[in-house]
Amino acid sequence: MMKKFRIPESMKQIEFIAWQSLPVVLFCVAFAAVVTILESSFHMRMAIQNDSMVPGFAAMLILRELAVVVTALLVTSRAGAGMAAEISSMKITEQVEALKMLGIQPWSYIWLPRFIASVVSLVILTALANSFCLFSAFWVSNIYLGFSQGMFIGSLQRFIQFQDFLLSLAKGAVFGAIISTVSYYFGMNCKDGADGVGNSTTNSVVCSSLLIIIVDFALGYMFSFLY
Amino acid sequence: MKSEQKVGLLFFLSILLVAFFAWAIGFINPFSQTHSLKVLYNYAGGIEVGSPVRVMGIKVGKVSRIQFDALKKSTTGEEAKLVIEIEIDKKAWSSVRKDSRFFINLAGVIGEKFLEISPGSLSQPEFEPGESVRGEDPPRIDQLISQSYGLAGKIIELVEKNEGSVSSTIAQLDKLVTNVNKTLVLLEKTSQNKDVSRLVDNAIKISDDLAYLTGQLRTKKAEDTYELVHKLLFRLENLDGPAVRKFLQDEGIKAKIF
Repeated sequence: MMKKFRIPESMKQIEFIAWQSLPVVLFCVAFAAVVTILESSFHMRMAIQNDSMVPGFAAMLILRELAVVVTALLVTSRAGAGMAAEISSMKITEQVEALKMLGIQPWSYIWLPRFIASVVSLVILTALANSFCLFSAFWVSNIYLGFSQGMFIGSLQRFIQFQDFLLSLAKGAVFGAIISTVSYYFGMNCKDGADGVGNSTTNSVVCSSLLIIIVDFALGYMFSFLY
Repeated sequence: MKSEQKVGLLFFLSILLVAFFAWAIGFINPFSQTHSLKVLYNYAGGIEVGSPVRVMGIKVGKVSRIQFDALKKSTTGEEAKLVIEIEIDKKAWSSVRKDSRFFINLAGVIGEKFLEISPGSLSQPEFEPGESVRGEDPPRIDQLISQSYGLAGKIIELVEKNEGSVSSTIAQLDKLVTNVNKTLVLLEKTSQNKDVSRLVDNAIKISDDLAYLTGQLRTKKAEDTYELVHKLLFRLENLDGPAVRKFLQDEGIKAKIF
């Protein structure tokens, strides 16, 4: 089991993707949540002179879209680019051919640990980002907008269901699969030379980002049937 | 720190946060102390699973399940095909009595639905957990609007059919209002006339005098006078012209009265 799924390699990849991306992900999503709360409050006050529902609306947006998509895009630009560059380098230095000569399938040695690590990492990062986002949202609601803890939790309970949280984790898993697979694909199709590595890395990030946005829409539409 | 330790830490943290989140939004609550109650409706006005339950305006639970039961009847035998299962905190359980009423209300800017329970009287017993009770069906706005449309249609039809009569009635009403206005103007002018004012003042004085006189007539003295006059007239009734003349001649008075 350990050998088949290359667990030690997967652990290293999880450390690279999740652990090392954690500070930047939490920092960015916290600010995104703060901006979401403040903007929602501003618009609601302007439109209906009442922002009592803002924590609920904002939390729903954070859980369903913001935290998971921002996390996935950040991981794409940090870890996805790293993975694509690493695999491209392996490709142009003929390490992939060496693996084949040793009778090791490149996908099982290169792609599988990264795939497992990406999926697990994105699930973990999404859970952490969701919680941190909500904490930031609560903090700014409490300090700046004057919502008490009870008002915030009450508003959350009114709009948020536990399945919102679970579906965001599912989205994270799908985005993890996209990031690792796209990075592997562009890395393995890298052309020789430094230009080739640069191009494959760029293309990998662009393609992953586009796919994340499109798949987010598709998953959002599919999940809407579950409510 | 090794990779495995870091990954383990992240896993542990994630699971902890998922559990915390589930508890925070009320999905799981291992320390909950609630009793359930089944409230029967025929129309629930858009209430959903998770909608709050309030007693005297304070949130004390939520709607936990909604079931359709075509054969369900209330204790009075009335059909109520919608079973809404609610959870109520034990702290509020004693406020819910057999005579409590279960309303579906609207709250907030966006019209959030909630189940409001009116507190029962202490003379009534408490519910048993899981017991069924008939709720008060909320008014159906769509039905009201539909009925209003029907009523408006009928009014329009009536007006169209009797367009001539309605027009003439309106014209007559218009004339009536004009006449009333004119009359009111005349009355106002009249009230400002000096002679009329004097007339009214005199009428008031006369009325006061009459009131005084009629008041005096009810006194004992007036009654006695009336009695005396009555007796006098009774005695004078038999007198005629010759008798009076004879009386006067007897007395030596010559007069040409008759």
